[in-house]
Amino acid sequence: MTDTAITISPDTPRATASHIGTAGTHVHARSRAALRACAWHLAPWLLPALLFLLWSVGCARGWIAPQILPAPQRVYDTLVDLALSGELARNTLISLQRVLLGFAGGTLLGFTIGGALGLSRTLEAWVLPSFNAVVQIPVLGWLPFLLLLVGVGEPLKYLLIGHAALVPVTLSTMQGFRQAPAALDEVARVYAYTRWQRIVRLVLPAAVPTLATGVRLAFTKAWLALVVVELVASSEGLGYLIVYGRQLFQLDLVMASVVVVGVIGLVINRLLDALEKRLRRGTPSAFRA
Amino acid sequence: MRPHRVLRYLLCTALALTSLYAAAEKPTVIRIGVAQQGAGDPPTFGGSTAATVQNQQLLEKEFAADGIKVQWLFFKGAGPAVNEAIADDALDFAYQGDLPSVLARANGLKTRILLESGVRSGVKVGVPPDSDIKSIKDLKDRRVAIFRGTNLQLVADNALAANQLDEHALRVINLDIASSLAALASKGIDASVNDYHLYRLRDQGLARIVYESQHDGPQFTRQAHLLVLDGFEKAHPDIVQRVVNVFVQAAQWSSDEANRDALFKLWAKSGVSYASWQAEFAEQPLKYRNSPLIDPFIVARYKAVAQDALRLKLIRQPVDVDSWFEPRYLENALRAQKLEHYWTRYDAAGKPLG
Repeated sequence: MTDTAITISPDTPRATASHIGTAGTHVHARSRAALRACAWHLAPWLLPALLFLLWSVGCARGWIAPQILPAPQRVYDTLVDLALSGELARNTLISLQRVLLGFAGGTLLGFTIGGALGLSRTLEAWVLPSFNAVVQIPVLGWLPFLLLLVGVGEPLKYLLIGHAALVPVTLSTMQGFRQAPAALDEVARVYAYTRWQRIVRLVLPAAVPTLATGVRLAFTKAWLALVVVELVASSEGLGYLIVYGRQLFQLDLVMASVVVVGVIGLVINRLLDALEKRLRRGTPSAFRA
Repeated sequence: MRPHRVLRYLLCTALALTSLYAAAEKPTVIRIGVAQQGAGDPPTFGGSTAATVQNQQLLEKEFAADGIKVQWLFFKGAGPAVNEAIADDALDFAYQGDLPSVLARANGLKTRILLESGVRSGVKVGVPPDSDIKSIKDLKDRRVAIFRGTNLQLVADNALAANQLDEHALRVINLDIASSLAALASKGIDASVNDYHLYRLRDQGLARIVYESQHDGPQFTRQAHLLVLDGFEKAHPDIVQRVVNVFVQAAQWSSDEANRDALFKLWAKSGVSYASWQAEFAEQPLKYRNSPLIDPFIVARYKAVAQDALRLKLIRQPVDVDSWFEPRYLENALRAQKLEHYWTRYDAAGKPLG
């Protein structure tokens, strides 16, 4: 899983390279720049490719027992089987539904709590310490208690996933709401903005980038929590496929599920990343980095 | 002789010598995996010949003079977790249930079954005391906890099938033994497919047992065994024989009705109460449950488990059962201890053989 990976823009090196080139070496510099841009695009794939190679060679040479780490081909076959039988789609949909509901709930609550804490110093003094103490308890720590409270049904999953998403969103919202530049705040005062105007025109736009980062982090946390929650008590979903594979001693099923979990996490992370960039572009120019 | 041939000759001799040496060399420790969580300090378990061996420290005594230590390793994840340890070569012997071992064999783990340790055990279904569930039939569309991949699962599947149901007709939740009991006590589930651990909940007034599979006949029971890893058996046949000797001796002690009281007290050290063991073994001769024999009934049961597992798609290729048993050590031990006729042999249908 990529934990809010920092994506370095491929444009940066190309832009600097083309400026350096003088008129005579312009063509040469351009091709070199193109090559370097290409390398930038390929770089993230190098490590996975190396790991994959190690995995393939390790299996072919028998460095690891096939019962522990099945060969890539076997995992691929299992993946195809899963996809064709409809099991994959069914379990993925269930997992996505859980994570979206839990994530949406946790994020909304996080915006509310974080916004309130960000706007009111009094509330912060009263509530934040307790909030901080409560969020220090990991998702799994809540499990035995929640298991008794709400049982092993769907609400348990929504609660735990929501909890995972709540924390980053609350903290980033609170921080984001504090970021309105002092100079603009003064201007707002001069224009006698109401509290509401100040929030909508000043605080919110300034908070957008931080909020977006918080939401993205929250999704990663929610996705991780989903797998943990499904590992413990469920009878469907991607996390369950992992446990089931383990209990039936079909490590290829485990690996196939892990791959699906990773790919979906990556894809959604990329989507949120694009969304975040979009939001940043939408903010007034005064707030651009 | 050409030089490289000399070299090869030397290499072969050296290899042969090292393998001879390796075979003769005694291990410093014997590692036995137990497909149970274990309780207490040091952890113990109950309910089978293997438990008697462990509680009475019979193997520790047997190998003390050789300076060989005996390690009992407990697995909360039960059979499936034991399989992982076997794949990792982290065990020499294992006390395992029928289905998990079949799963392991289907996936290419090389083991031999030496003797049975705890046979014809029933699977029980517990429900909250005020539940309206009266029989297996009532489980339809209910939240039922089953520990998948253990030998509880297949018996439960068969009991469901006998009532024209299957796992899809239920809302199955995959929980381990302890979680399943906790969920039942808190009424988080409608029913728990479980073992003798349910008696404690029943005696505390937290559960009612609505079904015990052994009443439906021996084909609705599960078996457990002692197995050895192929590599260990080849390297140390003498140690395997001594381990089996000890197990047979313990099986005899555990089968003697004169020891019924002492046996349950011994097993009660595992945290499962004396009363639970009394209930588990009520109306059944100890010999019937603690027989180590690999008789036609046992072979037929393992074959049925392998077939059912394939039918239910728990495994993807058929498992050869016949070549799996290695009764040689058991036969030696029975002969040496003059116990050849001590236990009754049963045919494939579970009827006593003449």
